[in-house]
Amino acid sequence: MTTSTTPIANRGDRSAPTGLALWWKNNRKLILPPIFGIGGFLLFWQLSASLGLTKLAGPLSLFTEERTRELLFYPFFDRGGLDKGLFLHSMSSLSRVALGYTLAAVVGIAAGIAVGLNKGLDRAFDPLFQFLRMVAPLAWVPIALVLFQNNQPAAIFVIFITSIWPILINTAEGVRQIPQDYRNVALVLQMSSRRFFTKVLIPSALPYIFTGLRISIGLAWLAIIAAEIVMPGTPGIGFFIWDAYQNSYVSDIVLGVIWIGAIGLVLDRLMAWLQQRISPGQ
Amino acid sequence: MTTATLVNVQELEKNFPLSGGGNYLALKGIDLEIRKGEFISLIGHSGCGKSTLLNMIAGLDLPTAGTVLVDGETVKRPGPDKMVVFQNYSLLPWLTVEQNIALAIDEVMPGLSGDERKAMIDEHIDMVGLGHAGHKLPRELSGGMRQRVAIARALAIKPKLLLLDEPFGALDALTRGNLQEKLMQICNEHQLTAVMVTHDVDEAVLLSDRIVCLTNGPGSKIGGILEVDIPRPRQRMTVVHHPSYYSLRSEIIYFLTRQKRVKQWQAKPHKVLARHGLEKVNVDLGFIPLAACAPMAIAEAKGFFSKHGLDDVHLVRETSWRGVTDGFLDQTLDAALMPSGMPTWMTAGGHGGDPVPIVTALTISRNGNEVTLAKRLAEQGVRSVEDYRNWLQSHNREPHTLGIVHPASMHNLLLRYWLAASGIDPDKDVHLQTLPPAQMLADLKDGSIDGYCIGEPWNLRATREGHGVPIVGDLEIWNGHPGKVLGVREDWALAYPNTHIALTKALLEACQFCADPAHWDEMAELLSDRRYLGMKRELISFGGGKDSEGQFAPHGEPHHLFFGAGVNRPSRTEHLWILTQLARWAEIPFPRNYVEILERICNISVFSTAARELGIEDVSYQRGPIELFDGRSFDGNDPIAYLNSVRVHRDFSVAEIPLGVPRPLAA
Repeated sequence: MTTSTTPIANRGDRSAPTGLALWWKNNRKLILPPIFGIGGFLLFWQLSASLGLTKLAGPLSLFTEERTRELLFYPFFDRGGLDKGLFLHSMSSLSRVALGYTLAAVVGIAAGIAVGLNKGLDRAFDPLFQFLRMVAPLAWVPIALVLFQNNQPAAIFVIFITSIWPILINTAEGVRQIPQDYRNVALVLQMSSRRFFTKVLIPSALPYIFTGLRISIGLAWLAIIAAEIVMPGTPGIGFFIWDAYQNSYVSDIVLGVIWIGAIGLVLDRLMAWLQQRISPGQ
Repeated sequence: MTTATLVNVQELEKNFPLSGGGNYLALKGIDLEIRKGEFISLIGHSGCGKSTLLNMIAGLDLPTAGTVLVDGETVKRPGPDKMVVFQNYSLLPWLTVEQNIALAIDEVMPGLSGDERKAMIDEHIDMVGLGHAGHKLPRELSGGMRQRVAIARALAIKPKLLLLDEPFGALDALTRGNLQEKLMQICNEHQLTAVMVTHDVDEAVLLSDRIVCLTNGPGSKIGGILEVDIPRPRQRMTVVHHPSYYSLRSEIIYFLTRQKRVKQWQAKPHKVLARHGLEKVNVDLGFIPLAACAPMAIAEAKGFFSKHGLDDVHLVRETSWRGVTDGFLDQTLDAALMPSGMPTWMTAGGHGGDPVPIVTALTISRNGNEVTLAKRLAEQGVRSVEDYRNWLQSHNREPHTLGIVHPASMHNLLLRYWLAASGIDPDKDVHLQTLPPAQMLADLKDGSIDGYCIGEPWNLRATREGHGVPIVGDLEIWNGHPGKVLGVREDWALAYPNTHIALTKALLEACQFCADPAHWDEMAELLSDRRYLGMKRELISFGGGKDSEGQFAPHGEPHHLFFGAGVNRPSRTEHLWILTQLARWAEIPFPRNYVEILERICNISVFSTAARELGIEDVSYQRGPIELFDGRSFDGNDPIAYLNSVRVHRDFSVAEIPLGVPRPLAA
């Protein structure tokens, strides 16, 4: 970028900005506001913590508290049991999410296609789906525990049941929304159902399916925290926060929350990228 | 084998259930046969069910009643033998051009080897001229290119029948034109059978062998099928010069306009308003723009209609006499100005349907017609009918066409009489073509017709604008012949007798007004308005050409008679003469029950009542035999002997025309 803009700048006025300065000129409107916004927020938070307006530790406590600083800088340690670095906690949480979410995706897409293709099924189950998707992840926890009598499968079930609805509903909508024109093409060509499925239905519904998947990954991540907080004794980022709260390590809680937010953001970006790769521009 | 039937649509009917309960009857009673290799267009207004018909031929939709046979088999479901090109292309957006075509080929011809398959894909991409775009996705292509891909995809699977649903509707004019030529070329090369839905009149004429016009829904049916007799291969830029092009085009446009008018008419409430002792004071009165419509315009402008109690008379301007006929058939008109031959013609079923008894109680104008020949003939010395006969003999290799406005108009009958009496057979030596007046002038100008016989202002215009020369006026053929009459349906006349009298009174009074030369300037001014003739007032004249002795010049100037002794009273002898002439030229069989027919057509009692109530004293006038220019007279005593005695005539027949008992319109 610099190489291409320099000669143009040189031809003109000497005081014209070059290189980095030019880049800054063009992009400062995009960069400065978030810096001010986030910086202001952190400053306000730190001030209110320092002035004792709230019991919540300020952002600087991540560095000032020795235990928290250790957790911040060494996310990979493993002292056995539940005493692990935050990365390892996150990995256990993520593996649980991966399992529950994959299950939700498989079941959700399959059920969504069935419901989207069949009006009778749609009428039969749509009220149920609409009802169940309103149930919060936390409310599923006791039911899951009763159902499975065991923390691990119960946590996976909570993730599954929370994240399946957007996938299912979006897939069904995607199938319903296949343009009549595409169906007519398939009809006129007398495509077999198998070919219709692979050549028309899936490609046509794919953007909807991905929308569902992307919404669901966020929900799945939300659910894991809920599941782990109330299911102690399992390593995971939710457990870590709950444990820190029990021990009044407020700055640890703040650090955990930052990890959660960051991982959620990465997951969402990942899905967006995948969507872009698989069904570009649709 | 080219004439074998490929598609046979029989008694097709389609009902759509409505969301609020009930049914919408989209199509009813559709019968259509499509031969192999034919290109058919379906044309009609939006919502007339033309796409529904196409979908039923394709098998995408099933009829409620009736059947569609393709190659003798009932269509029950869609299939690749009836490939459809959809309006919005229907390409799969995630597949490239090649993949889209390959999808169809793989589906229909699964046994192909890799090379054959590739060759086939390439062949069809090249066929539509998209060789460079094979790897592109549909969204990277323009609309025209996408439609070309859709056509290539359809052709690649070699369908028996190609179905196109407004294929070029969404494209700009230039792209549309190019694609039309491409499609035409492909259809010719591969002898394709195709059915296309369109709303573009020019597209239909350009591409089709036959054009199927559908009437408005609900219950659309085939309103007419036009054969396009323009030879192939056709070119977009040259078809317009074919003599049939504009008549086909105007035929379709007439049909579509008519459909629109009927729709508008149906949209309005049509209550019969009874007032002032009249059964109906709201009257739709049809006319076409000719100088002879002056009494109608005057009656409206001078308030003669309301004076006689008709509060709500609406003048409906039709572009051709056919519009008047259709207005009577579907009863969108109450009454109309009509050529004097039309009451007998319609009563005898000359319009091609069941006889519709028409009543006339008033002759509105006499004379005012003339034969005009093209300037180029005059320049070659054609000054008289004898000159024309000789000229025709020396130019007998070319077709010779003369324009008339309607088969039942006096222009046609007088022109034929004049030609036949002078030794020119009006069907063999020349060709008489029905044309709208404005078209005649244009055709005279560009030389596609030799001349025409018509009322004013079209002769005056041709003379003034230097395209034609008047050759004979009606004064020389039959001075005082009936020109235009007031016509109503018989059932209408019986249902609204007092309205009929009031209408006759208003128009008779207007005729009286129009006959006074002092009013002619005012009338010309009025008629020049867009509501009536919409042309320069200098071109509208009613009788300017009198010589020093006060006599009308025989030709070259208009000479309308609107009022006077024996002018307005309907005459049975005249209508009988018209009957003999219509039979002579085989427009209708000569009715064995002609006495009954004349009795029912000429309503003299309505005229007499109207004249008496207006205080006009010519009721007792008796007309002698009709004298024509060739010295023959017609007294009406033995019409069949008269018919047998004329030298030139077609093979006419004599038949009973069943009219049934006169019965008023059901309220």
